[in-house]
Order: sequence, then structure tokens, then C-alpha cells
Amino acid sequence: MPTTPEPAQSDPQLSEPSRADYLTLAFAYFAVGVTVSVALLDAGTSITRTLVSALVIYAATPQLAFLAVQAAGGSTVVGVLSGWLVASRFGILASSLGARYPDGRLERTAAAINSFDPNVALAMQHERPADVRRIFWLVTAALMVGWWIGTGVGIVLGNVLGDSEALGLDAVFPAILLAIIGSSLRRRDGLTAAVAGACICIVLIPVTPGGVPILASALGAVLALAFGASAATGESKEATS
Amino acid sequence: MTWTVIIALTIGVATQRLVGMFLAGPLLARRPVLARLADLLPAAVVAGVIVQLTVAEAGRLVLDARAAGLAVAGLLVWRRAPLGVVVVAAAVVTAVIRAL
Repeated sequence: MPTTPEPAQSDPQLSEPSRADYLTLAFAYFAVGVTVSVALLDAGTSITRTLVSALVIYAATPQLAFLAVQAAGGSTVVGVLSGWLVASRFGILASSLGARYPDGRLERTAAAINSFDPNVALAMQHERPADVRRIFWLVTAALMVGWWIGTGVGIVLGNVLGDSEALGLDAVFPAILLAIIGSSLRRRDGLTAAVAGACICIVLIPVTPGGVPILASALGAVLALAFGASAATGESKEATS
Repeated sequence: MTWTVIIALTIGVATQRLVGMFLAGPLLARRPVLARLADLLPAAVVAGVIVQLTVAEAGRLVLDARAAGLAVAGLLVWRRAPLGVVVVAAAVVTAVIRAL
């Protein structure tokens, strides 16, 4: 099988995103911003509340989860609980970031509030806290530019954009997330964590409420750690013998 | 979405992020083995999000155009294609299969 020539040392893809990469990240969040604002307006939310909720809730999935419960005829309380549950992944991502982010209460608070999937996953590819911080905020800036333009465009144009699914825009976010964890997938422990997390999620989707499958996918990291520890012990034994 | 809902969601989301950063994060940093866990958590959780966005619909597993788009994205990521190429290819493949 032909393979592209690889650099001698491991090349963590996207560890230093290019200008084009930042543009693509902004585009992905543009798509998310459009989706959320159109969904909120469709559900009868006023423009003011759509803007304020994007600003203060500051996460797309809890809003979409609430709307999904509401659309299914569920109560407000269940909707809010569902929103909290799907937000648990941001808590997990913030704890990952918090393990390596530099000191400083105010800045760590800002970083916590800004914890999303792409910026934490890309920042945590770096070992040095200074690099973690630099990449985190560069990616965050790209995401926010895209998100706010997308939110604005969604409000102004609404359904003029037509069916975003016909354009395949709903495939943009999962694709970019896959690319972002690409470098983790090239390491055995990262691959184990991702595959285990994905499998846990698949198994739980049909049998648990929304939010639980992703929360439980975090256990994939625990499995990878346990599995990796035993594999590493085996390897070091081989090396010494 | 009422103001009450907006306030409730805001508090719930922000609290979890702050607890993660200020309580769980420092705990993970305390031991090398837990710091490894912090390294692996994004990959595991993001993989879950990808699955949720690709094969789930209203609590059911479904295999549709999204899965094909993601498969192409996976192939391109493996071949180290630029991020923009991965994203555009996934969207185009998904849209084309839907249009068939």
C-alpha cells in the first residue's frame, strides 16, 4: 500500500494550526452558529433572547437539547436537566484543560467558560502550559469569530438559507472533530481512548437519555489508561529482558 | 426559550465548566497517572460527540449519509489531508448521498 512520506519524528497534525486551519475552524463554528440561531427562532424564541442565550449559555448543545425536549412535549424542568446533562462534557473538557493551564484565577475562569471541544482538544496536544494557553486562545478566537457571524447570519437570513442539511453542513462539525483528534488517534493510548469512548456511546444511545452516552464516553479514557498501563509494563519488561 | 430557562441553563453550564477547571483539573494534575487521564479525556469525549452527531437521531441509532461523510473524513484524516479538505469533502459527500 502506498504511503505518504512521513517526517522522522511524530507529526502531531494540527498541533500548530495554519492560517487555513483557523479559517476552517471558524467556518465549522459558523455552521454551528447558524444552526442554533435558526433552531431557536423556529421554536418561537425572540431575537433578543436568541442573542442573549448564545452569549450567556455559551454552548450550542445545551440549547439544542432543551429545544429537543420541548419539541417532544417534555416539561421545562426535564428540558433544563437535559441541557445540564449534555453540558457535562464541557465540565470534563475544562477539567482536562485545568490540569495543565497556567495559574491565575481570572484567566483560568475565562478559559473555563470558553472550554469547547476543538480548543481544549487542540490545546491539550501541547505539554508546556504556555503552549496550551497560546493555542487555546488562538483557536478560541477563530471559533468565536465564526460563531458570532453564524449567529448573526442565522438571525438575519433565517430560513432563507434553505435546508442546511441539503448542503451537508451537519457533517462539518463531526468531520472537524475527527481531524482534531487525528493526532491522538495515531498514538495507541489515544486510539484506545477514542474507540472505547465511541463504543460506549454507541451502546448507550438507544438505552439512556440524551447526554448520558457522551458523559459515559469519558470512561474510554479510563479504560485506555488501565489498558495502556498494563501494555507499557509488558513493553518495558520486553525491553529489559 | 424563556428567560428562566436561559438563566437556569447558563448557571448549569458555567458551574460545570468552573468545577472542572478549579476542582477536578488540579486534582488531575496532582498525580502523573491522572495527568495522563487529562491527556486522554478529550479524545474519548470528542469521539463520543462524533458518534452522537453521526449515527444517532432522537435516541436511536441510524446509518445515513452522515456516516458516509464521516468515513470519507476519516480516510482523509488518516492520509493527513488539510483540515479544510477534510471538512469540505465530508459536507459534499453527505450532501451528494442525500441528493441521490
